[in-house]
Amino acid sequence: MARRIRVRLDRCLQVAVVGIMAALALLVVVGVASRKLGYSLVWYDEVAAILLAWLTYYGAALAALHRAHLGFPNLVRRAPPSVRRPLVILREALIVGFFALAGWMGLDLLAALGGTFLVSLPWLPSGIVYSAIPIGAALFVVAEVAAAVEGWQRVGEAA
Amino acid sequence: MTALWLILGLLALVLLDVPIAVALGLSAVAAMALETGLRDLPNIPLTLFDGAVKFSLIAVPLFILAGSIMNASGISRRLIALTSSLIGFVRGGLAMVTIGTSLFFAEISGSAVADVAALGSVLIPSMKRKGYSKEFAAAVTSSASTLAVIIPPSIPMILYAVMAGTSVVELFVAGIVPGVVGGLLLMGAAYRIAVRRGFPSEAAFRWPAVKSSFRDAAWALLLPVIILGGIFSGWVTATEGAGLAVVAAAVIGGLVYRELDWRRLWTSAVEGGIQTAVVMLLVSTSALLGEYLTAMQVPQKFAAELLAFTDSQLAILALLNVFFLLIGLFLHSAAAIILVVPIVMPLVHQAGIDPVHFGLVVTLNLGIGQQTPPVASVLLTACSIAKAGIWDVSRVNIAFIGVLLFVLLLVTYLPAIPMALVELFYR
Repeated sequence: MARRIRVRLDRCLQVAVVGIMAALALLVVVGVASRKLGYSLVWYDEVAAILLAWLTYYGAALAALHRAHLGFPNLVRRAPPSVRRPLVILREALIVGFFALAGWMGLDLLAALGGTFLVSLPWLPSGIVYSAIPIGAALFVVAEVAAAVEGWQRVGEAA
Repeated sequence: MTALWLILGLLALVLLDVPIAVALGLSAVAAMALETGLRDLPNIPLTLFDGAVKFSLIAVPLFILAGSIMNASGISRRLIALTSSLIGFVRGGLAMVTIGTSLFFAEISGSAVADVAALGSVLIPSMKRKGYSKEFAAAVTSSASTLAVIIPPSIPMILYAVMAGTSVVELFVAGIVPGVVGGLLLMGAAYRIAVRRGFPSEAAFRWPAVKSSFRDAAWALLLPVIILGGIFSGWVTATEGAGLAVVAAAVIGGLVYRELDWRRLWTSAVEGGIQTAVVMLLVSTSALLGEYLTAMQVPQKFAAELLAFTDSQLAILALLNVFFLLIGLFLHSAAAIILVVPIVMPLVHQAGIDPVHFGLVVTLNLGIGQQTPPVASVLLTACSIAKAGIWDVSRVNIAFIGVLLFVLLLVTYLPAIPMALVELFYR
């Protein structure tokens, strides 16, 4: 079950991350070209920076799935299994807790932003821009739990 | 008092193997809650999002993407062939080729881990086949990639520029001379070891071979000319130059060489996306912590305390160097830059140290941290490619780390080495 969720989530997040990166590259190139041709796009900087923020949060969930976030595993990994198990559970609870809080506050933020629009692109609702926080946080929680459960099952205890 | 608890809490979380980005966020939220209650919690998502909205950091994923395209399209192979025809004839030729290609490669990619993965996967197996010890092969590849961090473009430099609020172009220019000097010194060290251990050399130097490999690699050589030329001349910004790098790599790899391997490109783009997100999550959660530290005036107090102790530039640079070397043992360089640079910048400004000069000191210093276990991502990548033990490799690597430390001393105490070109062209 954890494995199936992990594989599906992995595929979806990979498509999202590569898509955002490609869009970012394309946008920067179009932005440079238009500036050099004398038609500066007013929305280019703002939209590009927003895409980077999206890449941050969708990519962070993918990184959680791949166990790629930077940390210091040396101590926990060396602890005897009886100590390691409760430490790993505490660690996972803290990580999930942080993103649950960020996601929950993010939903409140979306509600507060209702009816507002981006400055440079007045047809784009701010809610869509900031949706990356609650969605990204939820995906992070699912990814973190899936990776932890699978790790736990594979070696009999989480690494 | 809360600040002390904050540091202890952060340390405890990191030791518990909570990802550093999450540990930063958690301890900032806890400190906020202790100081002002629950009033500021609704600001968390806003600060997190706005912390990641940084136009100048768009260069990070774009340079990584350009490097991925190069690897997936035979560009790195051509660069290796060219360097081999130029300097392969020296004793320990493949080690020279590794160092030389790293310097070339650094002008397009920008990330040391990417360099070591790309070049190491080709050169380490070749070195092993030719009778080099696997420990030496891993050590030389790893150290050469660290040096590449100070040769433009460089992701740690982009991060530093954003965190310190200084010019990324000037930082890029400041890296050129120390990078070349360091490369030559590394080659010297590799040569000495090669002679002592009787490592072989490659084919003798022949003009026809140089000419044919040059012709084959000419388009690839055009890449750094387009990218760095555009950035240094001020025609495009660093971010726009990174965008150009992606297009140029795609055109040269896909249309000129017609070797773009789509599956490999996908995998490395995914890895690049992950690498970017890992750094960017750190940037955005550190924004939470930054708000708190600024409110408490921690950087200013730190500067005042240290300046009361000494106001000599030499002593402050020495202290900061030791501090960063220690931090580099335990923290990845991106994490260290994001975490520490905003705290020490007021001190650097008040001591009259040029932020560009200091940026070079920091990036090289933390690059050396990538060679020193326990936390040493570049060294670990090289070891896993060579299938060699990290401590055995480190024993051989001491010679190269010595060279890198020597370059660090030069850069720190002879500011003209990094700064002469900057003064000449930009001030």
